[in-house]
Amino acid sequence: MIKWFAACMIAAAALPAWAHHSFAAEFDVTKPVKLEGTVTKMEWINPHSWIHIDVKNPDGTVTSWMVEGGSPNSLLRRGFTKHSLEPGTQIVVEGYQAKDGANRANGRDLTFPDGKKLFIGTNPDEKAPEK
Amino acid sequence: MSNRFQITLSVFAYVCAGTSGASAQGLAVTAKPAKPAPATATAAPSLRTPDGQPDLSGYWTNTTVTPLERPKDLADKAFFTPDEAAAYAKRQLAVPEPTGPGTYADVHYNMAQFGLERSQNKVAANIRTSLITDPPDGRIPPMSPEARQKNADRAAKNKGHEFDGPENRSLGEQCILWPNEGPPMLPAGYNSNLEIVQGPGYVAVMQEMIHDVRIIPTDGSPHLPSSVRQWMGDSRGHWEGDTLVVDTTNFTGKTAFRGSSENLHVVERFRRVDADTVLYQFTVDDPSTWAHSWSAEIPMTKIQGPIFEYACHEGNYGMANNLSGARAEEKGKTQEAK
Repeated sequence: MIKWFAACMIAAAALPAWAHHSFAAEFDVTKPVKLEGTVTKMEWINPHSWIHIDVKNPDGTVTSWMVEGGSPNSLLRRGFTKHSLEPGTQIVVEGYQAKDGANRANGRDLTFPDGKKLFIGTNPDEKAPEK
Repeated sequence: MSNRFQITLSVFAYVCAGTSGASAQGLAVTAKPAKPAPATATAAPSLRTPDGQPDLSGYWTNTTVTPLERPKDLADKAFFTPDEAAAYAKRQLAVPEPTGPGTYADVHYNMAQFGLERSQNKVAANIRTSLITDPPDGRIPPMSPEARQKNADRAAKNKGHEFDGPENRSLGEQCILWPNEGPPMLPAGYNSNLEIVQGPGYVAVMQEMIHDVRIIPTDGSPHLPSSVRQWMGDSRGHWEGDTLVVDTTNFTGKTAFRGSSENLHVVERFRRVDADTVLYQFTVDDPSTWAHSWSAEIPMTKIQGPIFEYACHEGNYGMANNLSGARAEEKGKTQEAK
């Protein structure tokens, strides 16, 4: 346990300094998840966007999940719009489940079923400055 | 994807002007190496607002690859050559290697995918090896023993209670104050964008992260009474030639900029050095924290607006989720102990 904690402390020091909050406090490294589901809505809220998906279970029932994503402002700057992820879209989420066991996960990687990345758009700053 | 490495290849060359400080000239190195312009006070372009003020207005980013403090292995090297600076920037802006699934650092999202790593940003490159220009070693002066003790006591008091409640979390997590807001205004990890608006008697600085607008009177009015303490202090500006000089006092002790006390005193200087650049310099002084003052400078480069809204607590599930994660962890430990 102590060894694990020490490893965590070292890793934490290497974490990007720009996380708005502690991901490790919110999500559980021992609970990796891969979810394939249908988008029901996307919340464009700071500091993190949240994507809601319905995941069909093998027994036919449906479980709703919330997936934490990046800052809406950054996504907007990369060309992502509110129409880029309409309800009904199929996506695949790889991430980690919330520590409290709720059906929430961080969206470490989000892809379409064909493997294409969900985010990464154009950079509007490439255009000439207006002034 | 092809534009992800879109970097402003407008490198700033800094020409040391004696020991009194540094003056800067813009130096474009887009396609071909540029010649440094002469470092004279009159070299700055005459960009004016309609009412005749030096024009600082517009949208800017202070995204940088230059560390605040000089890395120890560069102790005696205050400046890179332009080639070294370009190579350094390229290394810094390389897309980070993905972390391995199941590792602690991996409990995060893919920064590149969400547009959060700097290679996707416009960056005013810099041939300095640290943002700190004074002291000459490019590092924050050592803290006084009293300040060290005070900060250690504060940390000890919070130890083990980091997730007791929202008030124990950092000011950033509480959506109260981010380091980019300042003063002094240091780059945030992402969304390091700001807008400057000028009018008669006022200059306003709006930071994208996390929402505050600094309204800086330039009408000669005095500071607030010392009994009034504010997270971002009380800023008053005046013009010295083409430079906006902003003096800030009246901080709260809780602001604790790098461990500072409420006696923190910040002097900032904004100067439009070319059409695409505002040079931002600051000096911080707090005799109860550091043996002497220290100074830094950050070039801010022009970006396309607008600044987007950042309503930090509107649907901020992160705080509640962090605390509920901590409660779950505590519960697990209690059960383990039984």
